[in-house]
Amino acid sequence: MLLTDSDLQAIWLTARLAGTVTLILLLLGTPIAWWLARSQAWWKGPVAAVVALPLVLPPSVIGFYLLLAMGPNGLVGQLTHALGIAALPFTFWGLVLGSVFYSLPFMVQPLQTAFEGIGERPLEVAATLRASPIDAFFTVAVPLALPGFFTATVLTFAHTVGEFGVVLMIGGNIPGVTRVASVQIYDYVESMEYLQAHRLSALMLLFSFAVLLALFAWRPAGRKEAVK
Amino acid sequence: MTGIQACFHLEWPGFVLDVDLDMPARGVTALFGQSGSGKTTLLRCIAGLERAPKGRLTINSEIWQDDELRPRHGSGHWLPTHQRPLGYVFQEASLFPHLTVLGNLRYGLRRTVAAHRQGLDQAIALLGVGHLLDRKPEGLSGGERSRISIARALAMRPRLLLMDEPLAALDLKRKQEILPYLERLHRELDIPVIYVSHAADEVARLADHLVVMESGHAIAVGPLAATLARLDLPIQMGEDVGVVLEALVAERDANWHLARVEFPGGSVWVRDGGLPIGQRVRVRILARDVSIALQQATGTSIQNCLPATIDQLVDDDHPASSLVRLQVGTSPLLARLTRRSAMGLGLVPGMPVWAQIKAVALIG
Amino acid sequence: MKLLHHWLTAVTVSLTLSAHAEKVTIAAAADLTFAMDDIVATFKKANPGDDIQIIYGSSGKFQTQIQQGAPYDIFFSADIAFPRELAKAGFAASEVRPYALGRIVLWSNRMDASRMTLDSLTDPKIAHIAIANPKHAPYGKRAEEVLRVSNLWKKLEPKLVYGENIAQTVQFVQTGNAQVGIIALALASNPELATKGSYWLIPDTLHAPLEQGYIVTKRAAGNAAAWRFVEIMDSKPARAVMERYGFVLPADAATQ
Repeated sequence: MLLTDSDLQAIWLTARLAGTVTLILLLLGTPIAWWLARSQAWWKGPVAAVVALPLVLPPSVIGFYLLLAMGPNGLVGQLTHALGIAALPFTFWGLVLGSVFYSLPFMVQPLQTAFEGIGERPLEVAATLRASPIDAFFTVAVPLALPGFFTATVLTFAHTVGEFGVVLMIGGNIPGVTRVASVQIYDYVESMEYLQAHRLSALMLLFSFAVLLALFAWRPAGRKEAVK
Repeated sequence: MTGIQACFHLEWPGFVLDVDLDMPARGVTALFGQSGSGKTTLLRCIAGLERAPKGRLTINSEIWQDDELRPRHGSGHWLPTHQRPLGYVFQEASLFPHLTVLGNLRYGLRRTVAAHRQGLDQAIALLGVGHLLDRKPEGLSGGERSRISIARALAMRPRLLLMDEPLAALDLKRKQEILPYLERLHRELDIPVIYVSHAADEVARLADHLVVMESGHAIAVGPLAATLARLDLPIQMGEDVGVVLEALVAERDANWHLARVEFPGGSVWVRDGGLPIGQRVRVRILARDVSIALQQATGTSIQNCLPATIDQLVDDDHPASSLVRLQVGTSPLLARLTRRSAMGLGLVPGMPVWAQIKAVALIG
Repeated sequence: MKLLHHWLTAVTVSLTLSAHAEKVTIAAAADLTFAMDDIVATFKKANPGDDIQIIYGSSGKFQTQIQQGAPYDIFFSADIAFPRELAKAGFAASEVRPYALGRIVLWSNRMDASRMTLDSLTDPKIAHIAIANPKHAPYGKRAEEVLRVSNLWKKLEPKLVYGENIAQTVQFVQTGNAQVGIIALALASNPELATKGSYWLIPDTLHAPLEQGYIVTKRAAGNAAAWRFVEIMDSKPARAVMERYGFVLPADAATQ
């Protein structure tokens, strides 16, 4: 094996983080995207802007404010303290929380676009065929939005694998816990161990490429529009 | 109280819907009018796809919407669309692209009581779509899709069928293809059907009861024949002003390939279409095909000359024309003349004349 | 004629001024943050025409960047090994001069660190201890050394969190996420942090000396302002500033 144990540990950690975050965002992001696609409420605009914030904020800024929020004086930190849970910075679940926020728009926006593309008609048809709104969501909206789910999943996973700035700020670089591959590579570069940096980077590239290739091969074909 | 009572008041920017209607519990009621008249909106209100802030809808004593029921609580009584036992056929077939034809047809079934599953087979037979069940909607023609969407609505054995211009998106050929299926529906269903259309000939063929709409209001309501014969609605009818009469095939002439159909008050000769004696038919006689003579004419090619009485005269759309309503026995007839002719003949209500009918269309 | 004369004088004067007034970019180790600001401010007062820019960061990174052609004119490194590497590789215009011996401290803004010793770190109330990444940060290397030498490394390693540089290490403690940190004396003694927390000076017998040095880069060989700047580093006022910030100067260290 060309890679050290700590490299493998970092890769496994990265995969676990990206997988966990993607699953959580699928559960969390789908209802948000659905609401954004269908709501006429006046506060839809502000909500959409908040969801899009992580796109424009520098990751280190996001990380810094998360560090404050999760710390003993922050809202999240006080909540965890009140619930008797250990503080979130420097833990895997702290990274998960930070990454969920950081990758949120990558899950919500493609889903929102896909849901908007469905339009009202298929759902009205479903209602006239006795489907309750939840039934219609699962049996009509989700199948028609499948390409959107695919895109959102791929983007979220890839984005989390590449995450660096946020992890750097709140992770504390603890091996096996918060030392993800991107930070590991950065450390190699910082300490001028360029060979290891090259090796690990190449492997991350191959790994990401393989994941994306597999997902694209499995991709539901074409775009479906309600047949007129 | 049976039948359908629909009372809706709805205001949108630039549009108001304000109706209070009673519709029969059987047969086809057509909502007829130009685009923008509110007929589709009314249909959607009945379906629950639009919620009029003030409305009352009762189907055979079942209350589907009533905003006066609990005035203090503000929410009123509202049955959401998916709990209403109706079938809805949209203007564009709108089949689910991710399901096969059979999947589409079965979609509503899964959510209804087991006893209604026979409806699927009957709907397939009625619309003749049995050979398409394994296909996906993408590859089908417009006519096929239309029929499947109707079958899909019927498969659940709804208690009310709503159809929103199901033929509007089809070309003439497809329309002609589907109309027989719709006529069959009309004959064989015993649930009320509300049919939205802007096409007078569809209405003439399919409707039993007519609601004429204009700018969000119902300006005429009544049985088909009587309403069509009204003289105050030419704008809606345009060139197709005419009457529709229920008739029976009384006689067939094998020699000349003609058939005589009898309606209350008289009969006319038409081309023999192969229908048996006793068959119930509808005849449509357009005003432009009727002329008036003071005496029974001889030496004319027109076969159908009937004694009639002038009922009423009005000015038509164009200043040169007049519309005349005649009574042939108990059946009404409309004729379009120039005002000059009407003046020249000295036509007045009550006057006996002869109606000369140049063309008769057998429908339905 | 008089107008032309005035105009020519003005042009000449401005050209001369700009010939002498140059831009200097300094790359300085993060622990110099407050000390260097002070020194540069003083220099600017005496040399108003010069434009001095300081960039703070990790010494290791600066070395790599200078080797790749980064536009730094002077490099102050927290570990003298880095400028020595550069000199060997031919990137230095001056010799490598030491400017201080770095010291490390235990620092906390939540607990009273002045009463602590290294053994206090085993207290279960301390959930996280922040140090700079020993892999590439000089202060981090020394922190690890100190803990190993005191036989505390095994016990304390589970509690350690690593900052990418000394500044981030401070950040972990300042935000309350780590209860204690091992940081540079230079940072702990500047007014910003001094008023907010307390520190305990770790005996320098426990770690290898943290010699800190600087060079003028090859790139700045002809930059007169750069040479002027490094000259004042030896001056009394600059030395006083450094000492105030806990940078023990080599000459004085020998006498201590």
